[in-house]
Amino acid sequence: MNILIVEDELRIAKRIERMTRDIFGNALQSLKHINSLHEALQFIDNNTLDLVLLDLNLNGENGFHLLTKAVSESFHTIVISAYKDQAITAFEHGVLDFVPKPFNQTRLVQAFNRANAKEKVENSKIKFLAVKKKGRMQLVPIEDVIYIKGAGAYTELFLTNGRKELHDKSLEKLEQLLSYSFERIHKSYLAKMSEVNQIIVESGSKYMAELKNGTRIPIGRTKYKDLKVKWL
Amino acid sequence: MKLRSSSYFLLVCFILFASSCSQSANPVFKRYRTVFKIGDQQEWASKNLNGQQWKTHLTLVPDGQVFWSRTPIDILKAPEALQPYGLRLEAYGEYEVFWDGVLIGKNGNPGQEADLPPEGELWITFSIPTHLTNEGEHVMALRLSNYYYPDHIGNYGLRIDDYHDLLTDRLIQNSYMHVFAGAFLIASIYFLFLFLGNKKEYLTLIFSISCLFFFCLTMTHFVRTTIPIHYSFHVVRLEVITSLMFGISFLIPLYFSMQFPFPKRKIFLGIYTAVLLFIFSIEHHLFDYTILNMAVSLLVFSIGIVAYGVYKRAKGALLVLLTLLLCIFIRYTVSLNVSLFTGFSLILLNMLYLLSLRIKEQRLAYENSLVQSTRLRLELLKKNIQPHFLMNTLTSLIDWIEESPKKGVLFIEALAKEFDLLNQIENKTLIPITQEIALCRTHLEIMEYRKEVNYFWEEEGIDINEKIPPGILHTLLENGITHSLPLKDNSITFKLIFEVNNQFKSYTFLTFAGAVRSEPRNKADGTGFKYIKARLTESYQTKWDFTSEPTSHGWKNTIKLYS
Repeated sequence: MNILIVEDELRIAKRIERMTRDIFGNALQSLKHINSLHEALQFIDNNTLDLVLLDLNLNGENGFHLLTKAVSESFHTIVISAYKDQAITAFEHGVLDFVPKPFNQTRLVQAFNRANAKEKVENSKIKFLAVKKKGRMQLVPIEDVIYIKGAGAYTELFLTNGRKELHDKSLEKLEQLLSYSFERIHKSYLAKMSEVNQIIVESGSKYMAELKNGTRIPIGRTKYKDLKVKWL
Repeated sequence: MKLRSSSYFLLVCFILFASSCSQSANPVFKRYRTVFKIGDQQEWASKNLNGQQWKTHLTLVPDGQVFWSRTPIDILKAPEALQPYGLRLEAYGEYEVFWDGVLIGKNGNPGQEADLPPEGELWITFSIPTHLTNEGEHVMALRLSNYYYPDHIGNYGLRIDDYHDLLTDRLIQNSYMHVFAGAFLIASIYFLFLFLGNKKEYLTLIFSISCLFFFCLTMTHFVRTTIPIHYSFHVVRLEVITSLMFGISFLIPLYFSMQFPFPKRKIFLGIYTAVLLFIFSIEHHLFDYTILNMAVSLLVFSIGIVAYGVYKRAKGALLVLLTLLLCIFIRYTVSLNVSLFTGFSLILLNMLYLLSLRIKEQRLAYENSLVQSTRLRLELLKKNIQPHFLMNTLTSLIDWIEESPKKGVLFIEALAKEFDLLNQIENKTLIPITQEIALCRTHLEIMEYRKEVNYFWEEEGIDINEKIPPGILHTLLENGITHSLPLKDNSITFKLIFEVNNQFKSYTFLTFAGAVRSEPRNKADGTGFKYIKARLTESYQTKWDFTSEPTSHGWKNTIKLYS
């Protein structure tokens, strides 16, 4: 695990650092602490990370910009903040968890478990996926996304208007964030279940999901049974 | 608006009604030219006399000599049975009155004025025996002497009407005018008390004096019915009236100039005073002329001032302008006296209206200031329970307790101290500077536990007797902590410098820190600065100055308090 802590309160940063080391033990490859927004943005651009622990109020500056940037990246973001009223905004933007201050190790373990994909996130609040476009951040509303296709380390978001956006997160990470309304119907596909019109069985027991706009996307053999149980 | 205009309407009606009481519609007599002759012969009283050698006017009758006047009068309508006619005279001098050769009244002692004390009245009413008031020609002859104003001969007022009506009409008119004057007297006293309660409000004082002058003017004008005035004192009454008029003419434009301020006010008022003095001094004995001129200049200058107020869109100015224009209209529709009293009452009502607008504004401002004070108090209280401070502090505190319980206890003690200090100052608008500094030092202690930065506090020239609004330096300190990164030796130093000179006291608050963010300061600063500015306004109104700027060593805030 490569973890970045962005926190301007040194004592709290140390606390997070200590607990993170405790929890991950040898699994931790690198742990970095940064106390300013500007440095954090630079570090994210130049390093490969798996998880960012983010305080939203850094030196009196609003961390919203940093939040948008973080959630558009390939890693998961966990917000640790004193402002509980920011939790909704954070979840809307697709953070993995929101840990209110003051926190203890148990709460942090819970958050990290989500990151380790041991626990699914039932985040019904997520409203946007942040995508990078020509160096700028853009928020794509979840309601516009019909299905998502894995493309290596990246993913492709297929939208209602027929367009396609690239996202830096892997399909696995998006599955975690979107499990409330999306289903992994194939190793390369996440589909919004409300968009699925019918399931077609083709010759050679090939299963296809037909979406409302007519698009057909494949359903994995192993996934079919689960889907049948869950949705039919 | 509706109420106001209807009250105006009532007032105008009332005054027109009151003045109309004294003028009956159809005169019962016709007066011809009066002729005069120096000398004293009893037959000059008789009805039929050849008046050819008599003069139409006399310029001077010195030493209280006796002279006679004869006025032919036609009675147009004989009186009803048992309702004799009366004759009211307004004449300078002491005299005997003959009607068709019959002596019908005596007013003083003609010819003996030099030896006897003044006797008689300037306004006097006699009854005419009924049998002498048949329709047709009559003669009124006066045997007079005028010791005190020998150059004021002739031109006297004369009226014949029902004797009873002549006596009561004036009393009725007077009773109305006394009620009217009383209202202004009460207003005057009320606003005088208001002024005594708040001695900065000169407008209420000016209004109070104006009302008092108007009360005196009314009383002096109508005093003739209630108090007998000898003709030798009449000038005193006119002098008093003119002087009151001068006072009112000066005060009203002064009042408007304070309600609707304009540039070069002093010069303007100086010119106006000069104009008034000029009017007051030339042709001073022509009292009506002087009064009219003063009223005109008052109107002209007031209209000028109020028109500027309208141009500047001052509240209430338009209504006042319309009223002043209405006064001009009134002047050309009714007699001078009526227009004077109507006009002044309208103007005074307008002044009252402006005053009420002002009082309303002051009340709103006061209520606002109360709300503002409460808001500031809450903001001060919120400082230590807002989540950023509280939750971060608690998180650090938990950590300290887990890692080093002893330090944790010290941390809690520092926290307790800051809460305690905040409690002490929470409801104050000014606190001793030492208390504010204590608050800052405790805050630094807490922040040291949280940020693990070495914070230093320095002071220079602090006067421990000075007071300052609570939370101001604390807010600057918070900003300093939040927005700066420590120097290489992991330290941030804050320095408070107090300086005093003739014009102002100043607090300079310096932050010595590493890279202060160059990005423009955001809203969080905004509210902090807003709090500081609101607190300064609360205690020092506009007499303060606050600047905040980056320097090579960190940040510099300056608060100047002007004396």
